[in-house]
Amino acid sequence: MNEKERIEQTCVYALETALKKGADQARVSAVRDVSDSLSVRNDSLEKIQFAVESSLMIQLFTKGRYGSCSTNRTDPAEIDKLIEQTLASVRLLAPDPCRMLVPASLRYNGPPSRMAHDQEIDTNTKKSLLFDCTAAVYGKEPSLISVTADYVDYRRHILITDSSGLNCSSEETWYSLSAECAVKGGGDTRPSDWEYSAGFFPDAVGIGSGNSSDCARRALKRALAKRNPCKVNSGKYPAIVENRVASTLLGPVIQAISGSSLHQEDSFLLGMLGQIVASQLLTLIDDPLSKGEPGYRLFDPEGMATARRTVIEKGRLNTYFLNTYYANKLEMKPTISSPSLLTLPGGKGNAVSLAGSLKNGIFVTGFNGGNCNPATGDFSYGIEGFLVENGQITKPVNEMVMTGNMLDLWQKLLATGDDALKTTAWQIPSLLFDKLEFAGL
Amino acid sequence: MRQLLELALGKGGDYADLYFEQSLFHDIILRDGKVNAAGTNSEGGLGIRVVKGQNTGYAYTESSLASDREKAAKTAAFIADGMSPATAPVALNTLKLPDRYTILKPWDNISPQEKMPYLYQLNDLIFSADKRVKKVTARLADSTSRIEYYNSLGVHCTDTRPLASLSVSCIMEENGRRETASASRSFRMGAEFLQPDLIRELAEEVVARTAFLFGAMQPQGGEIPVVMSSGSSGIFLHEAIGHAFEADFIRKNTSIFSDKMGKRICRTGITIVDDGTIPGNRGALNVDDEGVPGQKTYMVTDGILTSFLHDRISASYFNVSPTGNGRRESFRYMPQPRMRATYMENGTDSAESLIASVKKGLYVDSFSNGQVQIGAGDFTFFVKSGYLIENGKLTQPVKDTNIIGNGPRALGMITGVGNDYRMDNGTWTCGKEQSCEVSCGMPSVLVSSLTVGGRL
Repeated sequence: MNEKERIEQTCVYALETALKKGADQARVSAVRDVSDSLSVRNDSLEKIQFAVESSLMIQLFTKGRYGSCSTNRTDPAEIDKLIEQTLASVRLLAPDPCRMLVPASLRYNGPPSRMAHDQEIDTNTKKSLLFDCTAAVYGKEPSLISVTADYVDYRRHILITDSSGLNCSSEETWYSLSAECAVKGGGDTRPSDWEYSAGFFPDAVGIGSGNSSDCARRALKRALAKRNPCKVNSGKYPAIVENRVASTLLGPVIQAISGSSLHQEDSFLLGMLGQIVASQLLTLIDDPLSKGEPGYRLFDPEGMATARRTVIEKGRLNTYFLNTYYANKLEMKPTISSPSLLTLPGGKGNAVSLAGSLKNGIFVTGFNGGNCNPATGDFSYGIEGFLVENGQITKPVNEMVMTGNMLDLWQKLLATGDDALKTTAWQIPSLLFDKLEFAGL
Repeated sequence: MRQLLELALGKGGDYADLYFEQSLFHDIILRDGKVNAAGTNSEGGLGIRVVKGQNTGYAYTESSLASDREKAAKTAAFIADGMSPATAPVALNTLKLPDRYTILKPWDNISPQEKMPYLYQLNDLIFSADKRVKKVTARLADSTSRIEYYNSLGVHCTDTRPLASLSVSCIMEENGRRETASASRSFRMGAEFLQPDLIRELAEEVVARTAFLFGAMQPQGGEIPVVMSSGSSGIFLHEAIGHAFEADFIRKNTSIFSDKMGKRICRTGITIVDDGTIPGNRGALNVDDEGVPGQKTYMVTDGILTSFLHDRISASYFNVSPTGNGRRESFRYMPQPRMRATYMENGTDSAESLIASVKKGLYVDSFSNGQVQIGAGDFTFFVKSGYLIENGKLTQPVKDTNIIGNGPRALGMITGVGNDYRMDNGTWTCGKEQSCEVSCGMPSVLVSSLTVGGRL
């Protein structure tokens, strides 16, 4: 019996058992992961880790009531016991008629999804990749304290079934390589930075293409550039936010249009569907069906089919992210539980070219803590980055705080780049904002 | 077990350990005035670690089949090169451990029916306390983890770890404006955790916190003196120094405190502790996750850096005793140095005198999250509420501001320590690649200058 068949058998057993023991409806989700990770620090293999793991989630609907259980023990006796105990608990709860399975019209009915490499990568290839990566910088830069390269791969099978006939499955592989360099800075400081590459197939990390060493070189270059930072006067500065951290600013927006936040009225975008919420330069697309890109998926955790949708179009909010439950709560139509592959099209250039248009400003390359009040949109984030002087990116800055309100921030969007990284599911390019408030000296 | 340890050491590893875990988690959720969702998670497995020098091989299995466990042991063994002779495990000796989390009422025996009234009472108290309340969400979670541990040095121990957490969030609306706040409590204890006093305390706290925000605003930004209140301001210690004292960073020479052992890092009279021995505390441990008994570690004694936080690997590297900080999220993770309950001991100043000494500054008293850059030393923590200090008095309420500073510099700028130490018993969770339950505490403290985010 292969892995797919083993998972199918477990799901069928759990579903039948749930119904036999008294559930009116049930959904069963099974995941099986085989993962491997290795780390090389400087010139030594520091860590290896291998794991095979399974998880089974059973969601039970009975007499208008809802509960769930999960386990990593998939033997029948464990499943029987867990379902019995959970059903006994569920019967004591208050009814919640909004809990239901995905409607048939929204269900994913397509063939199994597969985004997976066929062959396994042998351990020596992985080790060589990591040693090549660290060797590109180790012993070649006097300021380097430490370089660490991490490799992770996994193969994941997912199967979701329900008592109304849903049956969707996927198989995917994922490969990632990251490098982090720490260097001697001023005084006792040891600034560090990282680089990362990842994708569904091994060529994303340089296996087969031979360019893995770039990862550590780029991490070292970034760490060296951060030495001897300064803090500048508090004030309002135009800001460029680098592509690899720009999604931090989008996070509160996505949270604010998620079903749970809207239902709790804990959202600064409550009641703003169809309204202008940002600069007309902001168009945000959720594009789950872009095959091969990180974030690609055909169905969500409920088994609802994904679809391309424009989340924000020229500043106008077009959609909320609603699963079946929260859509029922809000008396709206379900869309999808969460975004998959977010893109922000229409821009041009990168952080350097965006900086070229500024007399002075701040180029934000990293956020250090901070948070956003979900109800009001007021935010305050620690930042690090560089000064922009006469169109040039110059001195590193740190220990400053950027503060404002999300609605105001996105109205201040002046330009977007086309330099989004293709290694993450939220592919947001570098962004240029009009004057933002920075606290420093 | 001996056979598994022998297999794990079969390639010449210096040391091996086996970490068995069986955990049961429950939660119930109140939403829209009803307890209408319940969850159970049961999981277990075995993590096998092999250490060779500073390097680690790790594998875990969820299977109880001998063949799967042997395969995991052989996989972890590969961190060693097979060139040196295997070290034979020594005979096992079972540790006698204290009981820092006595369970009077085991969670396994408590049905949702017995838990639900507490959530309903919490909901009712909050709604009756303030007409502006629009929504309440509450979650009661409990878990019991049973750990059994063996290593090739002959250490064997077992530990049963309960954890109870109650969290509540509240949304209020006033003239079309909404504010949200939350409150929580968490202890290592059984169902005796559920007490009417706890419910009243949480209800009062979350209502007061949410209502406070309607009169608050983001402060003016810049460098100013900051008085941190007693209790949850311990997040300052967790972020500003705690992580940078974790000895994996010291061993790799990537912490800003790497060269500071034995040196003065703040003024006399300041003592900072990481403590696994507080009975019932969220960060308490009878034993850590690599068989080292829980203990109290003085990181800073009277202003001098006296200890880092060690796991077995860093302790061996520095030739010191491990400090009981080797922790892991579950059997799926290899242990690493982690904090437990981190706090500063009392000083001599009153909180009032610290506030009175500030002409223009900020007083902060509740927080949500923090972060640190270990090598650069820059730390931040997010302030949910506080007050401006003007001419020694608390004046305008403030909210939603991030504070940033540099660990060593901020420690050096502590100019006053209060005599009102308090442990905060919220659901603090630390995420350093893995999640770990921690806690923090502090007396009131005055830092003469930190950068406060705010409007200009």
